[in-house]
Amino acid sequence: MAEQRPPKVIVTKIGFDGHDRGSRVVAAYLRDAGMEVVYTPPWQEIAAVVKLATEEDADVIGVSSLATDHRLVPKLMAALRSAGLEDVRVIVGGIVPPKDERLLLEAGVARVFHPGGALGDIADAVRALTHERRR
Amino acid sequence: MNAPATLAERIRGGDRRALARAITAVENETGEAASIRAALAAHLGRAQVTGITGPPGAGKSTLVNALVKVLVGYGRRVAVIAVDPSSPVSGGAVLGDRVRMSEMQGHDAVFIRSLAARGHLGGLSRTTAQVIDVLDAAGFDDVLVETVGAGQSEVEVAKVAAHRLVVCPPGLGDDVQAIKAGILEIADAFVVNKADLPDAARTERELRAMLALRSGTAADAQPPVLMTVATNGEGVAALADWLIARGRQAPPRAAGGPRPASDAAALLERLIARDAFARHLGLELLEAGEGRAAVRMRVGPEHVNFWGSCHGGAIFSLADTALGLACNSYGSVAALIDSHMVFSVAVKAGELLTARAEEVSRTRKLGVYRMEVRREDAVLVASLTGTVYRTGKPLPGEA
Amino acid sequence: MNKPINRPVAQTELEQAERRWQAAFEASPGAARRAVNRSGFEVKPLYTPQDWPGERYLETLGFPGEYPHTRGIYPSMHRGRSWTQRQLIGLGVPEDYNARLKALLAHGASAVSLIPCNSVFRGYDADEVPEELLGTCGTVVNTVDDMARALADIPIDRISCALNDPSPFTLLALVLAVAKRRGIAWTKISGTSNQSDCISHFVANHMFFRLALPGARRVLVDHIAFCNAQVPGWNPLSVVGQHMQQAGATPAEAMAFTLASAIQYAEDCQARGMDPDSFLPRFTFFFDISVSFFEEIAKFRAGRRLWAKIARERFGAKDPKAWRFKFHGQTSGVDLTRQQPLNNIARVAVQAMAGIFGGLQSLHTDSYDEVLSVPTAEAARIAVATQNVLREEAQLTEVIDPLGGSYYLESLTDQMQAHIESIIARIDAAGGMYQAVEQGLVQRMIGDSAFAFQKRVERGEQTIVGVNAYQTEEDPDAYSVLEYPQRERIAAQLARLAEYKAQRLNAPVASALDALARAAQGSANVMASVVAAAEAGATHGEICACLRRELGFGQPLAIV
Repeated sequence: MAEQRPPKVIVTKIGFDGHDRGSRVVAAYLRDAGMEVVYTPPWQEIAAVVKLATEEDADVIGVSSLATDHRLVPKLMAALRSAGLEDVRVIVGGIVPPKDERLLLEAGVARVFHPGGALGDIADAVRALTHERRR
Repeated sequence: MNAPATLAERIRGGDRRALARAITAVENETGEAASIRAALAAHLGRAQVTGITGPPGAGKSTLVNALVKVLVGYGRRVAVIAVDPSSPVSGGAVLGDRVRMSEMQGHDAVFIRSLAARGHLGGLSRTTAQVIDVLDAAGFDDVLVETVGAGQSEVEVAKVAAHRLVVCPPGLGDDVQAIKAGILEIADAFVVNKADLPDAARTERELRAMLALRSGTAADAQPPVLMTVATNGEGVAALADWLIARGRQAPPRAAGGPRPASDAAALLERLIARDAFARHLGLELLEAGEGRAAVRMRVGPEHVNFWGSCHGGAIFSLADTALGLACNSYGSVAALIDSHMVFSVAVKAGELLTARAEEVSRTRKLGVYRMEVRREDAVLVASLTGTVYRTGKPLPGEA
Repeated sequence: MNKPINRPVAQTELEQAERRWQAAFEASPGAARRAVNRSGFEVKPLYTPQDWPGERYLETLGFPGEYPHTRGIYPSMHRGRSWTQRQLIGLGVPEDYNARLKALLAHGASAVSLIPCNSVFRGYDADEVPEELLGTCGTVVNTVDDMARALADIPIDRISCALNDPSPFTLLALVLAVAKRRGIAWTKISGTSNQSDCISHFVANHMFFRLALPGARRVLVDHIAFCNAQVPGWNPLSVVGQHMQQAGATPAEAMAFTLASAIQYAEDCQARGMDPDSFLPRFTFFFDISVSFFEEIAKFRAGRRLWAKIARERFGAKDPKAWRFKFHGQTSGVDLTRQQPLNNIARVAVQAMAGIFGGLQSLHTDSYDEVLSVPTAEAARIAVATQNVLREEAQLTEVIDPLGGSYYLESLTDQMQAHIESIIARIDAAGGMYQAVEQGLVQRMIGDSAFAFQKRVERGEQTIVGVNAYQTEEDPDAYSVLEYPQRERIAAQLARLAEYKAQRLNAPVASALDALARAAQGSANVMASVVAAAEAGATHGEICACLRRELGFGQPLAIV
């Protein structure tokens, strides 16, 4: 029974950028792929995302970043660890220069997705990460 | 995963992560769900459960946010369950309600959980009641359940919440069909939100008029119509105060749902559950009390006669079921001996019919009851008058 | 072919020739392929006088500068004076911006445009936000000193200034404060408030969304009234179709929503007692130019014709200046790709051409590395060079509306206009744009179009070179990427901010902010108080915080 329940994914934006076309398209896609998506508007505080992930018992947090907001993601990773949520997987999607991508992965981000990639890849990754977390 | 007994302690001690995980188990009926529920069962009864439903555009989430703010200001700890529909095609869902409560969702005294309806009809998910239990046991003073009222009857909310608010936007007066008869039945109060808009006063009047159309309820027993402007908080404190006062008068909740208003009501719920024919027809108990009952039926293709109208026998059976429940509500067997039925209006397939039974008179041996069957738009389609013989014998199965 | 089937028996030579061509075409390879443009219209293989007979030239096209303006709003258009080369730039600290600005002006750009840091967009000063986000996507400007440094040696009384500056227009207030310091009369200041279109921010580009919608609505009218009276060379309103289109609206939808928003703003001004002949001439527009070449040209021509009609007939404006559809075009960043980024140079050239043929008044061309990060100096230079090539080598300014009279383009323009009018009618039926967006009607339409486009790309029906076709192995490190502003420069900026706050007189600031709060609570002109506060020395963050308290920072309504 537990394995059949759909992945619980948060799609959110931290920092200042307000362009949310990409995150909305991803949220709709994941819903159509059978997942339960908690979708937030932009400008979420890191503390709010941690509270959200805690209360919703999320499997994966998807952070959309088109400006340079991805620079805040290491702070998010640290906050998740402090809250005992190190098992929650984090993926980042958007405009991330190659050097920063390496830094994010080192900070514990599971995957970084770039514009123009297939949405199906994101859905597959979420499923795989969810499966990993629930083991 | 820790042993459930320890989990209960952690949950009651304020461990939000443990609480969230317990909710996941209970929501999804995993292997641990039963033992979690058992461990928490002894701690039920504190929370006041309020259901909040209504059509889209009513500003429900903004109102919930404002209401939560007031309750938290009173020092209460509030949990919110936000239910969103699942896609019938993919089974997935976008759960966007909680972040519309932007202001309060980050507050320490507030816990918000989103649930997907997962194909369950009636506005909730299948395990919402059990999730409420977990939050009750965790020590919250209030559990608010917000559902999407898509215009169908939100009867489910009545089963899990002792206090039911129906939120309406102004302008609803133009389309009172958006509030179906079923919602009128379950509401404990109506809240006209966005009350600063010009249409609000008219909506208030139209609502009161619709409520007055319901026969059998005295004017002062009608549910109140409250006016709010959620965006600036006007009227929200009054709503909160009304809710809290009502909560003080209600008995503490038991596992799975509100205790029925009376023993008679509990009895009738048990009786209709045992009635094979009522089940066969798809009848649903809406209200029950001493000497009264309301039963509902959706006219399906199996109820229709050779010229396409609802079979009179089906309508009779609906009214007769209400009659049978009303006259048996005193705990001893009463049987119909004579009746007279008048059919006023033909009924089509798809209509939703409600039969209400009221006691006209009662002696030691006889009782006379009058039943009215109405359509969703409150038009009377049939009336039944019946005389019953009260045997005085105890109902089988009810010792 | 779209001609009536019951015609008089005698067939004209034209029809016979057409039938011959039709038969030959259908026998050719690839004839069965259907083509649909982004707005959803079917595109035929050939257009003839049957599609656009060219009657009623004066009524439907007219001459440039004359109603209905289809061929251009001015008599001489680009032949007389080229479009303005207005490149949007913003990065780092004010000195960096000033240097980049001077370089671009030397290379041929003819106007100023300022993009502030994202922290500024959110309404904060640099000392209120995480340091790693400062100056990465725009220039940090918080005080009148910052603005003075950003515009050092720039003759703001002669050069036009576009500010990416949403409500409550603090950047304009700082520019006016700088002007006063320099002894320049406000009547000499020209430019545009580029992000004054609060409806588009609520719906589409949430980046610029600050004040809650009711407050923003009121402040906008205050702003228009203030500028019309005190800064008459300034365009206080730029209705931004770009946001809707970048969020996924089709070109026709984007134009429709833009015109509907403009109608809404004009109605608000009228309700305030302002005369259309006085405020409409200072209404401007800002559009995305996608790579769908002909569609964009048709979109602009249809929009121009429609706006003239709306201004004259719906609002009763009598001054011909009030009928003019003045617009700035920006090549669409949404069409650019991260894969094979140099391809973007070709895309931008095509987009720019479409805008030029569409009759824009000013143009921004994107840099090819826009998608990777904030543009490098070299990429920014190429973007300006592109415009120079189009103007001076391809000589695109020599003929006004050169594609006018094309059977295809004119029937496409008519088609666009009809579709745009039907969408505007839907918005009108919903009670106008403010009502429509509160109901989520516009957001749903945009969301559906965005999703549909994404699906077409995924299915391969819409080719994107380098992404779903003609792919190559990527070398992620191949292209130079702008470095983030150095920590020392940010630290220096923060130090300057602290010093500024320490040195200024606090009493006038406190008093001005108090007056601003009272203006917001009442019905006095908020913009006048914003400018007064800036002159008194209040910072951008302080002004925004005050209005945040009084009018609320709302959440945009997003529909998934």
